[in-house]
Amino acid sequence: MEEKKLKKMNVVYLMAYIFAPMLICAVCFWLSAEFFPKGNMAVVLLMGPSILSFIWWVFAGKIIYKKTQKKLEKKLDEMGFERNHTFYGSGSMIVVDVVHGNIGMAFFWNPSEVFVLPASRITKTWVDDGKSGAGIFAGSARVSFLFTIDNIKIRVNTFTSNQRWRMDSDYILTGISKADMMVDVLEEARTVKEK
Amino acid sequence: MGFLKKILGFFHDDWCSKCQSKMEEKNRQLYMLPMMVGHYTSHDDAEYYKKNLIKVNGKADIPIGNYACGVIAYECQECGHKAVKLSIFLPVRDQEKLEDAKYFENGEMDDFIAR
Repeated sequence: MEEKKLKKMNVVYLMAYIFAPMLICAVCFWLSAEFFPKGNMAVVLLMGPSILSFIWWVFAGKIIYKKTQKKLEKKLDEMGFERNHTFYGSGSMIVVDVVHGNIGMAFFWNPSEVFVLPASRITKTWVDDGKSGAGIFAGSARVSFLFTIDNIKIRVNTFTSNQRWRMDSDYILTGISKADMMVDVLEEARTVKEK
Repeated sequence: MGFLKKILGFFHDDWCSKCQSKMEEKNRQLYMLPMMVGHYTSHDDAEYYKKNLIKVNGKADIPIGNYACGVIAYECQECGHKAVKLSIFLPVRDQEKLEDAKYFENGEMDDFIAR
């Protein structure tokens, strides 16, 4: 089993994802201003990078993340990992092998690496129902399950919304149920590995 | 009056669909439905429930994230009509999220109840 340290985010990838299109746009705009102030070339240099940047920011992350997920699945299959539970979060994918007590992870902001670690490295697991307010005003806009590996906190959302929902709403209850289940599964995997 | 009673019957699970009298509860049992949260699919066929429902003593016996199914058997004392109601819900801590309800009024679940 891998002993490598968990890394949720690749800072170089994050910076390149955000700033590389900006840099290319800036260079193209400068070229246009300096050498092609008018004509077809100016249109290409001004519009092309802008449209490509938009496409990159909207779609590239999802496509790259999808490839990372496939990479993790392939690796798990090669290792004989039993995929008992798989949770696809918006920023991370968590796969748990309860039989052997292992956990597989892929992260949106670190597509170059996938992780397969023993569940015994989990130090804490808990559910955050995002509850705020009191009495009839109690509600939540996010439910997630969290765990720590090597003192790195990993949050996986089971429900998110741009509005607050009552704590007894179907959305919140479903989110809590999923989070409770994943915490239970992670604890089970940890117990199996520690035996 | 009969027509009004028929309409009211839609809002009462325990009213007989034939004569609109209040039916007597004959049996009540909790089962586990082996379906995980987020993967619920509705089934209208009684055979599915007969094959998959697992008897449990209480909600505590149902693993976290699994669906529960409350089965209530009714019988009308007036006309002898039988009905079985299935309430499928997700137990979440001390609450329940109702997912689906099914009625079987043609004896489809009778052999299952009698087990």
